[in-house]
Amino acid sequence: MPADSVAGAPQPLAVNWGGLAKPGFAVGESGTRIPPSRRGDMVSQSLSRADDSALIREAQRGNRVAFEELVRQYDRAVLRLALHLTGSEQDAQDIYQEAFLKAYRNVGNFRFECSFYTWMYRIVTNLCLDHLRKRTVRKEDSGVATDSEGNQYDVLDQTPDGRPGADPERDLMRRELGRRIGHALERLTPRERMVFELKHYHGLKLRTIGEVLKTTEETAKNTLFRATQKLRGSLADMR
Amino acid sequence: MNCDWVKQNITLYIYDELPDDARHELEQHTERCAGCEAELKSAREFRGQMTAAFPAAEPTPNLLAASRMRLSEALESAEPSHRWSWVPDLAGWMHQVRLAPALAMVLLMIGFASGVMASYKLSGSRAATMAETAKNPPPLSQASIAGIKSIIPDPSSRKVEIQYDTVQPEKVEGTIDDPRIQQLLLFAARSNYNAGVRMDSVDLLAQRPEDRQVRDALIFALRYDTNPGVRLKALDGLGPYVQNDTSVRNAVLEALLNDSNPGMRSEAIMLLKSVKADAAVRQAFEQLSKQDKNKFIRSESQRVLATIPEID
Repeated sequence: MPADSVAGAPQPLAVNWGGLAKPGFAVGESGTRIPPSRRGDMVSQSLSRADDSALIREAQRGNRVAFEELVRQYDRAVLRLALHLTGSEQDAQDIYQEAFLKAYRNVGNFRFECSFYTWMYRIVTNLCLDHLRKRTVRKEDSGVATDSEGNQYDVLDQTPDGRPGADPERDLMRRELGRRIGHALERLTPRERMVFELKHYHGLKLRTIGEVLKTTEETAKNTLFRATQKLRGSLADMR
Repeated sequence: MNCDWVKQNITLYIYDELPDDARHELEQHTERCAGCEAELKSAREFRGQMTAAFPAAEPTPNLLAASRMRLSEALESAEPSHRWSWVPDLAGWMHQVRLAPALAMVLLMIGFASGVMASYKLSGSRAATMAETAKNPPPLSQASIAGIKSIIPDPSSRKVEIQYDTVQPEKVEGTIDDPRIQQLLLFAARSNYNAGVRMDSVDLLAQRPEDRQVRDALIFALRYDTNPGVRLKALDGLGPYVQNDTSVRNAVLEALLNDSNPGMRSEAIMLLKSVKADAAVRQAFEQLSKQDKNKFIRSESQRVLATIPEID
């Protein structure tokens, strides 16, 4: 088993040329930064990794600008996760709000024992789990979401390529399948749903998922097995 | 390697969680075994369907913007319960200071005004805590600082006068060894709305970058201050540490690559000349010499590269 780099180990101060991809490091309002398209990406990205511990320490000292810079790095991903999990723009926004407020209130307790990435995901995941546990099984089709004005819309209308279906029959089938998937996902336990969501839809490694849930990679693995087993079973039954 | 093992691990395989050797064996097996190949196909189909028919869409720009605004508003009135790092750090700093040469006297003059920044409203609980700590020499509670109005060093008497607004009237006198003075300078460097005041505070702080907190504040100003004058002062202060402190070196390197101000970038080149043997620095210069839009930066980078020995 190849040894992974230990997540959360103190970042070596020497610049790492691994070409680390950074989740959307946005240009801050300050205007001191050249947009990514114009700067030397690989060099800057690697340097930016080392920035973060300084940025975090700044945020811990109460520097709101620094905290907001940190938020920028994660907020799109957090919103995407919450939106897909809850199916509701309103709920997604609530989770987003709670997650970052919680992070703001607790950043002082972050002790660099894990990576900030893991810490942030842990906060959001726990809020998502709470949401899943509270939610009663919806009677209407899952595949229908509500936007912030309370209007219902079909999530599956937002096809990845944005084109209106050239093949209405295929669209209908896809929508139908989408509904079945929605139902199937609701049959999972909150933890199973969470693990599957993080793995399948957000690409997190099982090792990270384990850390986020404060359990072992092995447990995350087994949870993933159960989740995919159940899902494949449900989908097969529904045919 | 039997079919049971394969079937159990197909899930891990389709999610790229198998170690390389196991992945290889699984692939080899499925090429030879029809049953397992079918299983693999079915698993891949499952994965494809889950994505295609129930995609995790990107949030709309409206939703993202609305969420950000709402959060911003909430942060205004939120109180971070950040650890009061002033207290433990003070001990370390006081120890350092005893070993340093005598420094300027600082005279604090405090005026009071209604709170200028909403984020520093005193809540009821804070007021109570402050009353308790009034017995010990109170470090200035950050919540009571409304803003630094001015920082005026007096060259003849080596005194520094700092005017700032709080919601409570107070008077403090002390040397620059006084932790509260450093606290105010650090605060001014980070948060003050007036660039001139930030520049003065960075200027003073740049006189003692031996202190870790001060260096962090200078690095912060170098990275994030909107005013190029302030950034330049921070850069100058950090200059001597480029060789020995890698975090400083990285910050300067980043300034070289990203700063919008050409003066900053050429200053950064000057400072990095002394560490041109560093692989990271060299790589940056190589990139700049080829790709930078600014002709001066390109030619300077080329010049520096020409003097670097090739060997690592």
